[in-house]
Amino acid sequence: MKNVILSAFAAAALISVSACKEPADPGVDFAINFKATYDSSQLEKNKPYNFDATQIVVQRYRLYLSDIALVKDTTVVPVTDVVYLDFTPDQAASDLSKTPRIVFSGIPAGEYDGIRIGFGVNAANNAKQPSDFPAGTPLANELDYWLGWRSYIFTVLDGRMDSDKDGDMDLPYSYHCGSDPVYRVFTFNQHIHVEEGHPELNIEFDIRKLLLNDNGTYYDILANNATSNLVTDTRVAEDISSHYDTATTIKQ
Amino acid sequence: MKKVLHIRNFGLLLLGAIAFFQCQDGNTPITPDEGDLTDIPYNPKPYAVPKPAHFPEVPFPADNPFTVDGIALGRRLFYDPILSADSTMSCSGCHLPQGSFTDNYAVSVGIDGIAGKRSSMSLLNIAYANNGLFWDGRSKTLEEQALLPVEDPIELHTTWANVIEKLRKHPTYPEYFRKAFGIANKGEITKELAAKAIAQFERILISSGTSKFDQFINGNIDALDEEELDGKLMFFDEGAAYNLPDGQCFHCHGGITLTGNQFFNNGIDSVASLDDFRDKGLGGVTGNRFHNGKFRTPTLRNIAFSAPYMHDGRFQTLEECVAQYADNGFGVENEDIFIGQMGFPLGNGKYSGLNAYQQRALVKFLHALTDTVAINNPDFQNPFK
Repeated sequence: MKNVILSAFAAAALISVSACKEPADPGVDFAINFKATYDSSQLEKNKPYNFDATQIVVQRYRLYLSDIALVKDTTVVPVTDVVYLDFTPDQAASDLSKTPRIVFSGIPAGEYDGIRIGFGVNAANNAKQPSDFPAGTPLANELDYWLGWRSYIFTVLDGRMDSDKDGDMDLPYSYHCGSDPVYRVFTFNQHIHVEEGHPELNIEFDIRKLLLNDNGTYYDILANNATSNLVTDTRVAEDISSHYDTATTIKQ
Repeated sequence: MKKVLHIRNFGLLLLGAIAFFQCQDGNTPITPDEGDLTDIPYNPKPYAVPKPAHFPEVPFPADNPFTVDGIALGRRLFYDPILSADSTMSCSGCHLPQGSFTDNYAVSVGIDGIAGKRSSMSLLNIAYANNGLFWDGRSKTLEEQALLPVEDPIELHTTWANVIEKLRKHPTYPEYFRKAFGIANKGEITKELAAKAIAQFERILISSGTSKFDQFINGNIDALDEEELDGKLMFFDEGAAYNLPDGQCFHCHGGITLTGNQFFNNGIDSVASLDDFRDKGLGGVTGNRFHNGKFRTPTLRNIAFSAPYMHDGRFQTLEECVAQYADNGFGVENEDIFIGQMGFPLGNGKYSGLNAYQQRALVKFLHALTDTVAINNPDFQNPFK
C-alpha cells in the first residue's frame, strides 16, 4: 500500500513538473508585403520603361518562392514552404501591378539577422505535379506547371522590347524559368524585428535589376529573347534567376 | 381597449407572415402547412467526384460541397426546360454532351430565336475554371454563372420568380430540393439553391483520362502515332531536339485540362486600334482598353466535338484554326506575345510559321485529345430520357 501511495506521489510530482514547463511559444502573425517594381517604382503593365538605349514593356510577372525562413546566427525559423505571386493578373482592371500581402501565423517573436528565400520550387516539390496537391493551394496551380519539362515554371516574365528604337514594341521576350538547376536560394542580411503589431516586412523585386548582368550592363534581350525549350539548355533561365540576389530588396 | 390590442397584434402577425412568404422568390405565397417537407428524410451523402489520377483534385466552394442528391437535382435542372419562359429550352440547349457540352452553333440561339453574339463554351472540366467564366469572365463562380442565362432575354428569357414558382408547385422538385439541401418548406426553394445544384452537376463533368494523349502521358508511348507525336512536341514546344518548330500552343492551353483559364487576344482580328474590336470581350467587363479583344481560353480536350471555333464560331474546322495561328497574327498592340512566335526563330523577333505538314500534325494531335468516354458517361446524360 505504501508503494502505491509513493508511486502516486511520484506520478503527481512528475505531472506537476511537466505542467510547470513553459508553454510552447504560439508565435505571432507576421505579414509580408510583396511588390514588383521597375527602377524602384511600382511596376505597371504595358508601360514603356527605359531599358539600355531603348524601351521595354512588361506584360506578365509571376513567381514562386519556397522555403522562406528567418535567420539568426545558425538558427533558421521557417516562415512558409511555398508562396505563389501573380503580380499581373489578367483580369485586373488596373494595369498597376498587384501588391500581395500574406500573413504567416505562429512565427516566434524576436530579433532576426536576415531572411532566406528560395526562388522557385524546391526539388522535392518540383518532383511532384499539381494533381499531387490539394485544390486551391499554390502548387495545385496548373497555370505555371510545364508538363513537357515536368517542372513548375518558377518565374514568368513576359513582355516586348522596342528592338530598333522606332517606338514600336516589336520584339517579344519571354523568360519562363523552371527546372531544378534554375532554383536559387539567397539569404538577405537585414535586421528584422518580429512582434505582434510591429511594422510589416516588405519584399520588392525590381524587374530592371532582374534584367541587369552582374557587371551592371543590361541583359541582351535581342540575343536572348526567350528561355530555351530544351531541358538541357537552362542558360538564360539561370541567368535571370541568378539576378534575384541583386533584384530583391528587403525593407522594414 | 384590450380587445382592440389583440386584434391589432393578430393583424400585425398576419401581415408579417404574409410579408415573409411573399418575400421569397416566387410570386405565390406558400403557407407553412401546405409547403411542409419535413416528412421527407434528409440524409446528405457526400460524393467523391471520379477523376483520372493525373488530374488535380476537383475543387468546390466550402458552402456547396458535393452530395449525391445535390448532383441529382442539378442534373435534372440542367436538362429541364422548366428553366425557360416557354418550357422549351434548358441549360443543355447550349451545352449538349455530344458537342462536348457545346451546341455546335457559331453563336447560340435562345427561346425567341434571337441569336446571341458568342458561341457556347464547353463545360468539360469546368470545375477547374478558377479565373472567371463565360468568354469574358463576367461571372466569378459557377453558382453566379448559373443565375444569368435564365433571365437573359436572348437565352431562356424568363424570371427567376417565375421559375421558382414553377419549381415550388412541381410534383417532385420540392422533394429533390429537400433531399439536396434539407429545406423544411417549399417556400425555401430559391434561385440560389437551384444555382448551387446546377453548379454541383457541372463540376462533375470531368474528363475520363482515356484519350490517346492521356494514355501517352501515363506511359503508353505507342498511344500516339508519329504524326500525333510530332504535333504533341510542337504543341508543348518540346520539338527543338527533333528539328520541329515551336507551336507555342501550351502557353495558353496549358496544364492537364489544356486551358490555363487566362484571357488573351489570340490574334484573330485585324483592327486598327484597340477601340475597334467588334466584341470587346474582357475589356467590356473590366473597362480596361488593353483588355479589348481578349477572351478566356477554352479547353482543347474534346475539341474535335465542339466546332465551330473561337468566341464567335468563325472557324468551322481545326485546320482553319491552326492555319490562322500559323500566320502569326496581325501585330495588334495587345496580341499575346506568343501569337507572333509560331515556328522557327528567324531573328529580330520574326518566326517562320508552320508548314503544311506541321499544321497537319498539330491538328492530328488535337484529335488525340478526343475522349468519347467522357461525353458518353451515363452520369452526364439527360435523366429525362
